[in-house]
Amino acid sequence: MKNGRFATVCTILFAIFMLAPIVVVIAVSFTPEGYLEFPPSGISLRWYRAILDNPDFIDAFIMSLKLGLVSATIATVLTVPAALAIGRGSFRGREALQALFLSPLTVPTVVLGISFLRFLSMLGANGTFIGLALCHAVIIIPFVLRLVLASVIGMDPSIEKAAVSLGAKPGTVFRRVTLPAITPGVVGGFVLAFITSFDELTVSIFIVNPSTTTLPVRLFSHIAQTTDPLVASVSTIAILFTVAVMLFVDRLYGLDRLLIGEGKR
Amino acid sequence: MAYLELDSLTKAFGHTLAVDHFSLNVERGEFVSLLGPSGCGKTTTLQMIAGFEEPTSGTIHLNGRDLSGVPARERGLGIVFQTYALFPHMTVSENVSFGLEMRSIRRRERKARIARALDLVHLSPFASRYPRQLSGGQRQRVALARALVIEPELLLLDEPLSNLDAKLREEMQLELRRIQQEAGVTTLLVTHDQNEAMALSDRIAVMQAGHLVQEAAPFEAYENPSNVFASTFLGKSNSIECRIENGAIVTTAGVRLDCPAGAAHTGAALAALRPERISFVDPGEAILSGTVTERVFLGDQWLFKIDTPIGELLVTRRNAGRSEPDTGSTVHLAWQAEHLRILATGDAA
Repeated sequence: MKNGRFATVCTILFAIFMLAPIVVVIAVSFTPEGYLEFPPSGISLRWYRAILDNPDFIDAFIMSLKLGLVSATIATVLTVPAALAIGRGSFRGREALQALFLSPLTVPTVVLGISFLRFLSMLGANGTFIGLALCHAVIIIPFVLRLVLASVIGMDPSIEKAAVSLGAKPGTVFRRVTLPAITPGVVGGFVLAFITSFDELTVSIFIVNPSTTTLPVRLFSHIAQTTDPLVASVSTIAILFTVAVMLFVDRLYGLDRLLIGEGKR
Repeated sequence: MAYLELDSLTKAFGHTLAVDHFSLNVERGEFVSLLGPSGCGKTTTLQMIAGFEEPTSGTIHLNGRDLSGVPARERGLGIVFQTYALFPHMTVSENVSFGLEMRSIRRRERKARIARALDLVHLSPFASRYPRQLSGGQRQRVALARALVIEPELLLLDEPLSNLDAKLREEMQLELRRIQQEAGVTTLLVTHDQNEAMALSDRIAVMQAGHLVQEAAPFEAYENPSNVFASTFLGKSNSIECRIENGAIVTTAGVRLDCPAGAAHTGAALAALRPERISFVDPGEAILSGTVTERVFLGDQWLFKIDTPIGELLVTRRNAGRSEPDTGSTVHLAWQAEHLRILATGDAA
């Protein structure tokens, strides 16, 4: 379908609105000057070299990466069985279970942060990596559930019956039929969860300690002290990393299919 | 003992009996259809044979083996589902291979059997395609190959052609019959489509509200329906409300009609008359006259609705290229008394 002129203008304005801040950040990161300058007066890699002089940023990047992978894994492992039960079962409390899994979306993140801080302190797990990973898992479970659930509901339940009739044991049915059939949703949920965790600031700021500082927390505290273009160069690398992950998943499964739902089959 | 024997099979969901003391025998190599409208219990019966539903009571014997308590995966049946239920992430040959792998059949033999099965359904060139790259009819045949490659003791077909368009459905009917006979496999088909049941089966079992209403060869079931339901479900039929008095039919409108010889019934009844058995005749030979209220051209035949003293009658006439009476014209109708079927009223068969 062809868009009208008004729709085209709106689309372009919207794209500019979405992309402008990112373009500004990337442009600023190449400035040779010692302050945030836009448009930059020249092109220099000075602030990229500066990252190497600040190894705590690299440590924080690696911490965020590990945290994203571990928390997305925890969330996915917990959510897949739940999504299968919610998507196909008809038992009492099904709706309640779904609401429970989606509830982290409805609680303000800052409230979650304070609660997690209190909770982890009570357990004596404050500032630990595993404590942080579990808190992130709670925040990202709704994203995983939504995508996995969409896959489960889109799956023809009789393929499992077909596998059983051909002689497959329950474990085999799950491994060779059910799981591959919902893989697009599982991978999509995992990636979205990873990116959400990688970006998470509000909750993390309450529960990290110096040894578990994540990249967003490190950036935030850097900005609180000075405003040099180092934050721009670090952000640019984080943006490129996220784009690379998205492109990889797109090549693998097609983002439209994962995030919007089944397209043509 | 028959090859497949369903004995008094009953399934209750809460207080409703989906299947009610249903008994049926199927001989080895036979093609039998369970025919009925949706909700008649035919699918539940299939699910019980497949092992996906536990019967409330009654037994299923296959080839002398009692299937009670045998889990679905150990029954060794080939099932073709209404949605085909192909594994979307596997190619055609991987789909067909699945059942063989579950039986730990060696790679070399597996390859040979997959090739034979794909050849049987004429899909050899499509072995490495994915289901989404196939047409509806091709998916249907993959499902068939996947079910047949395990050399099942029984092939169960659950409305296998209902997702295909009309033309393809007719082609697949012939194809399905050929494949079934080549494979020589005992087959039970569940369908709501009377044409499909008649075209494919050696025998039809008509089901209504969980009961077996009639069990007969297609021609026999069509010619001699056992009750009103069977007569209207298998093809079109005019049902004339009447009483049988002293060997004659008296319709509710008071018209007397000749009774077929040998009708022992007396009292309230329905006289069933197939639309194609009524002919247009000269006024002198007519049993009844009426007015054409509707006329529909169906290509190979004409369908008339005719208003007569005994109510509205459906008449079909083969299209022989001549002009036919138009709406509003008066026509004179006749039939032979032996084409009337006298059926008891009420549900009792």
